[in-house]
Amino acid sequence: MLKSLSRAVQLAARVSSSAAAAPVTPAVRSALYPSRTFTRSIWMMSSNSGSRPRLLTSKGLLPSVSCGCGSLHTEGDKAFAEFLTDEIKEEKKIQKGKSVPKMSGGWELQLNGTEAKLIRSISGEKVTVAFNVNSSIPPQLEDEPEQGQKGQENEPDIVSTPNFVVEVTKQGASNSLVFDCHFSEDETGHGEGEEESDIFAIREVSFQLEGEEEWKENRYTLNTDSLDWALYDHLMDFLSDRGVDNAFADELVGLSTALEHQEYIKFLEDLSSFVKCK
Amino acid sequence: MGVVVRNLQSVVSLRRARLRADVETLRLIFGVQRFDMSVICVDNRKIQRINHVYRRQNQPTDVLSFPFHEDLRPGKLPYALHRDEYNLGDIFLGVEYIIQQCKETSQDLHETLAVVTAHGICHLLGYRHETEEEWNEMLQKESYILREFNRITGSRLEPLTKRCT
Repeated sequence: MLKSLSRAVQLAARVSSSAAAAPVTPAVRSALYPSRTFTRSIWMMSSNSGSRPRLLTSKGLLPSVSCGCGSLHTEGDKAFAEFLTDEIKEEKKIQKGKSVPKMSGGWELQLNGTEAKLIRSISGEKVTVAFNVNSSIPPQLEDEPEQGQKGQENEPDIVSTPNFVVEVTKQGASNSLVFDCHFSEDETGHGEGEEESDIFAIREVSFQLEGEEEWKENRYTLNTDSLDWALYDHLMDFLSDRGVDNAFADELVGLSTALEHQEYIKFLEDLSSFVKCK
Repeated sequence: MGVVVRNLQSVVSLRRARLRADVETLRLIFGVQRFDMSVICVDNRKIQRINHVYRRQNQPTDVLSFPFHEDLRPGKLPYALHRDEYNLGDIFLGVEYIIQQCKETSQDLHETLAVVTAHGICHLLGYRHETEEEWNEMLQKESYILREFNRITGSRLEPLTKRCT
């Protein structure tokens, strides 16, 4: 192989010396002075120009599957599209028969892409629970199999546990009480592990003025990390009285998981269309 | 130094502030305010699993106590050398089991939780009811504690040990 390469180089050198000077790329220009002719020759051999023999080319850069749109279509794209077709089929199989669950307690659901809002009125108060299914699936930690037991063959269920914001607005009030809530990390191993955390926790509490869209940095925010535990319990009871309790949190996980799955399938379909150029 | 209250279940609606207040009153009466402890509310599935793992009894129950200290003597507070040892332990309240009992006996859930917690704290302090002598000793302690509790809060609670067989 080396012999034929060196013969090709010599041939290219004779060709280049007699041919009109071709534009030299900056990469070649920056090469060592003594080897400029050699590198130029090598560059000429790899040129896409139709008049020169192509000896050094990369197959992967050339389109091998074209739909005539002018965009790049590679064998990798084809394999990707086939993979996506199968993946969408499998995900829809999992989704089949599972409609988006309805929340009990009279919550009205509003959707805007990945953003969801649950709204409810209770004795003149308006309670809104807002969450986003983006980045709502915590990392799946595989449990070590117990002694004498085989490891799990099935993958663990994917569960969406989004952070959620509860806003409570009293009738005629100029401000709302806002609770930033998070699911405990143990929620992913719900029911199986030895978790001893509350199902969800309040992280921050603050007031927001009605109609105010932007967050004000100079407004006090109560952080619960080092909060008096009795006060924390009162805040949890406050939410519980407005329908935001552990049972609500469990239902929210079910709803968010279904919505996230819906968005995931839609994304796969859009991705498949983009790759196939349809 | 305080009481950790956790609610791990979604079957029974609980008033956390009320439970904490009652536990704090009991701690005052027992004289164990400088000791930390945990009160964890769980459902039948969880308490049954704990009961099965630690007591070989595969059924739900109302309360399970796990003392932090070993070699406890009833009536004597645990001896703590370091700050970390000012811990009585954990009490698991089987609230689903308890509320079922309350429905059968028409009793208030949170009053019953106070009684069950008092029983649990007695176990954390080494009281047992395996023998008749132990049972009498524990009943005496519980009766005293709940008498004081009733005096402070105006409740009319009775010891759980009375109902133990």
